Formats: sequence, C-alpha cells, structure tokens
Amino acid sequence: MRVDYRIERPVMLSASFEVGGFTVLLGTSGEGKTLLLRAIAGLLPARGEPFDGLPPQRRAVGYLPQGHALFPHLNAWQNVAFALRGPRRRDEAVAWLERVGLATLAERRPAQLSGGQQQRVALARALARKPQLLLLDEPTSALDPATRDDVLAELIAEVHAAGIPALAVSHDPALAAVADRLVLMHDRRIVQVGAPAEVHARPASGAVARLLGLRNVQRGRIVGAPGTQRLLWPEAGASLPVDTALVDGTEVDWHIAPEAVEWHDAATATADAVAASVELRQVGAHGHGAGLRCGQARLWAALPPEGAMHGRVRLPTSSIRCWPV
Amino acid sequence: MSDALRPRLTTLAAALALLLLAAPFVGLALATDWRHFGFAQGDGGAVAVSLGLSLLALGLIVALGTPLAWWLARHRVRGQWLVDALLLLALLTPPLAMGLLLATVYGPYGPAGQLLERAGLLLTNSAPAFVMAQFYAALPYYVLAARAAFEGVPRELEQIALTLGHSPARCFFRVSLPLARLGLAAAVALAWVRALGEFGVVLIVAYYPQGIPVKLWTNLQDLGLPAVYPLLWVFFLVALPLPLALGLAVRRRLA
Repeated sequence: MRVDYRIERPVMLSASFEVGGFTVLLGTSGEGKTLLLRAIAGLLPARGEPFDGLPPQRRAVGYLPQGHALFPHLNAWQNVAFALRGPRRRDEAVAWLERVGLATLAERRPAQLSGGQQQRVALARALARKPQLLLLDEPTSALDPATRDDVLAELIAEVHAAGIPALAVSHDPALAAVADRLVLMHDRRIVQVGAPAEVHARPASGAVARLLGLRNVQRGRIVGAPGTQRLLWPEAGASLPVDTALVDGTEVDWHIAPEAVEWHDAATATADAVAASVELRQVGAHGHGAGLRCGQARLWAALPPEGAMHGRVRLPTSSIRCWPV
Repeated sequence: MSDALRPRLTTLAAALALLLLAAPFVGLALATDWRHFGFAQGDGGAVAVSLGLSLLALGLIVALGTPLAWWLARHRVRGQWLVDALLLLALLTPPLAMGLLLATVYGPYGPAGQLLERAGLLLTNSAPAFVMAQFYAALPYYVLAARAAFEGVPRELEQIALTLGHSPARCFFRVSLPLARLGLAAAVALAWVRALGEFGVVLIVAYYPQGIPVKLWTNLQDLGLPAVYPLLWVFFLVALPLPLALGLAVRRRLA
C-alpha cells in the first residue's frame, strides 16, 4: 500500500513511501512521525492517500497509539467488542482475544493487565475493526525491557498472520532491526527506504546511521586531495588517514564500527594512533565493549585488556566510512 | 513545631471546621419545638412545588448544560474568553439582581416576555417562571463543573473510538459520558442544591407558586420563627438524598 501524505499544521511534513508487511518508519523525536499516523487515521487535517477526505470513523485503519489507549471503564473483551457490531459481539471479541492469547483475561480491566497484555488487547481491538492498514505508534515504548523482545516477536507474528500491512513509527533501532521494510525520516523528509539488511549495509547518511543506532558516528572534515587525504576529527584533536572521493574541505559525518577500533599500548602505537582513556567498561548479555575518551569525543571500541586505562587507538583507513553533510 | 504536633493540629482544625458547620443545625435541633411539631397551611404545596419544579429545572439544566459543557471542554475558538466571561457573569450576579434582570427581559414589559406571553407562555409568577429562575440560578454551576469533568476525559480515547468506526455522537455516549460520569454526578448534585435552595431569583420572578425557600420567608413574616423550623426539616429531607447518594457513589468509585 502506498502512503502519500502532506501535513501543513502544526508542522509542515510530507511523506511518500510504500508500506508492505511490517514497515517501520524510523525517526528521532519531534520529526512528526506521530502526526503522520494521526493524519492517516484522519485525526489531523491533512491531504493524502489512502483515505483522503474521509472522516476517521470511515477509514479502515487499526490505530494503536502510544500507551495503547484502552478504555478504562471497559474490560478486555468489551474493549475489543467496541470495534464490533451485532448480537455475537462478545463471542467474536473473545475469539480475537484468544487469537492474541488473552482469552483467560477477558474479564479484566486494562489497569489489571501488564503493558504487553494491554498492547495485545489493543492489537486485538484494532484487528477486530478489520482494517486495511495497521498504524502503530512507538509500539516498544511502554514495554518492560525484560519481556520487550518476546512481546515484539508476538506482535510481529500476529501482524504477519493477519496479513494486513502495518506501519510502525519509532525511534527505537531495535524495532527497525525486526522490520520487513524500513523507512527513515530526517528533517521531516524521507531520506532512505529499503529492507533492514540493505539499509544497515549502506546507510545513506550520517543521520541515517545515527537513527539505526550505530555507535561512533562523528563529525569531521576532509583535508587534502584523494590519495593523500586526511580526516580532521576536531573533537579528538586528531587527524586520520582516509581514502574517499570527496573534495578537500568537505564537512562529513564519519563512522567506524567499534570492533574495528584497535587498542594499542603507548609503546606499540603507530604515529596515526589517537590517545585514548577508558571511560567505562560494558559487559552484558548481548556483548561487551568499552567507552573510550579521545579528547572531547567518545569512541566505542572492543574491550581493551583488563586493567588498561590509558593507551592509543588506531582507526584503520578501510574501516572508516564518510558521508558529506 | 515538632512533627508529632502537626497531625494533631490538623485534626483539631478539621474538628473545629466541622463544629462550626454543625453549629446552625444543632441550633435548629434545639430550637425546634418537637412536642408541638406541625406545619403551616400551604407547607405541603410548597414541598410539592419545590420538588416537582426543581426536578424539571434540573432536567433542563442537564439537557442543555451538558452539550455546552462538552463543547467548552473540547473546542478552542477565537473569543472564547467571552463565553468564559458570560459564565462567570451569570455566576457572579447577586441572585436578587439576576431576578431583576430576568424580570426586565422575560417580564410582562420585557422584550422576550411580551413575545412569549403572546405565545401563551407567562414567565412571571407561574410554574414556568419558577423553573426559569432555578434554571438561571443553577446552570452556570452545572456547566462549570461538567466542563471540568469532560476536560478530565483523555481526548485520545474519544479519538480512538472514532477510529474504531463509531460516529461522534456514539463516541460521546459510549466514551465521553461514561468516563466523565463521576464529575457529572458532582455537577448534577451541585445544580440540584443550587436550584432547590434558590431564593433571590425566585422571589423576584416567581413569588407564586411558592416553593420551600419563599414559603420559609412567608412563614417567618406571617407566623414567626416556630413556623419556619418544621418546613426547614422537610426541606432537608427532600433536598439531601440526591446529592448525598451521588456523592457517596462517586467516593465509592474513587476508592
């Protein structure tokens, strides 16, 4: 389904992209992502397709706002039945709850449900509306970190099972990682679209790299002609050898993967190595790393040897990727 | 002051406030001649007038005040301060002055009064005049309290109801109204108390038919204080159950 919307107030925003499967629109806070969802749902004056000109009650969308917006005066099945008509509303509502694994909690009020359970009730309610498009606003924001991945996996499985295109807006790179399709928004414009693997492999800009949650996206400037170029890194007070096709004086965002950063003792370091000190060591279930301080800049790297606090880091030329700003 | 003393002081202050509130009613209980407890002529009629016409006025206040309160809670338009000022004016105007203003507009020589009289609706010393007086006395209180109740309903829930395929009217009755019900109950109780106890406005535009407040006044004038107390006891009996029950229901819900 193609989404093509233009909003004039409260901010100017236009967006045009394809929604297929579980599509995630990734952007920082304040980009107008929620406004876009509200516009598609008909809750904000805007022009665009689909559903142009229809009042919200006539748009076939299932809208799940942040916080889920369950009706507090109704229990779980009544919330789902709100989207249904006819004498068999209750049976149908319970069937929808069964589908999201919550039939046993049908009589509970929203306040008696966990964040994940509330989200599933909201999803059942949205699906019961038989929408042509599901709209999810920051679906991971209200979830407990311990159960977030499981809840997310269930949510996406349900969306796939329903066979309805879903558009989730988020600033959470973890959500982007599980999307079928990624749409990236920066400065209220769509700046890149593609499958997550494609986008991760080739971010279109430093802003996209930041949105994707990449660490070590820094600001710098290219000095010199191709072949003998160096990258000025003002925050660290250093310059690094680089190999790009960019012209002298180009302001750039640049990136190096933490695992590509090489730690050296002061004695073994080459001339291009940058002085660094260990600011924090990170040891977790999903990987290890260290936050290094290089001048005013923070650089993420693999864990240095135990006990090492001061040293030098080398940033291999082949691992540095530059985007003109 | 030590921390231990503070709660005791609060309790003492609260007890004093309760005592002050109770004092007039204790005085009433002591002053009532229980051995010769009896009613003046026309007291029964006054009770019937107050109860029947106040219920009618309350119905009108709820029917017209609820949409206004909802509109005020949900819409921001240019010059809205004028609406706010109008509500405050109605609230601030001394009851006697409001009665005079109503007589000026709806009285036999008033512009609206002459038109309505031609249509057969007499708004001086009549049952409709009585209802009108109570309506004007209690409507602003109801609207302000009901507006606060609607403002407490998250707008997002009303909008979600729309996206689930319901018309705005259906959303109002199935979401806004149930979620505002506690505040609306308080607004109804307030309007009831204001309407039933209204004296100043009623005195000017509807001396007849006499409701309880005006009858208390005439009893005092014609028969003296002992004729006031029995009717006052009946007034409490008539006026108290509705706000008391609504208040209890609200507090039970909140608990």
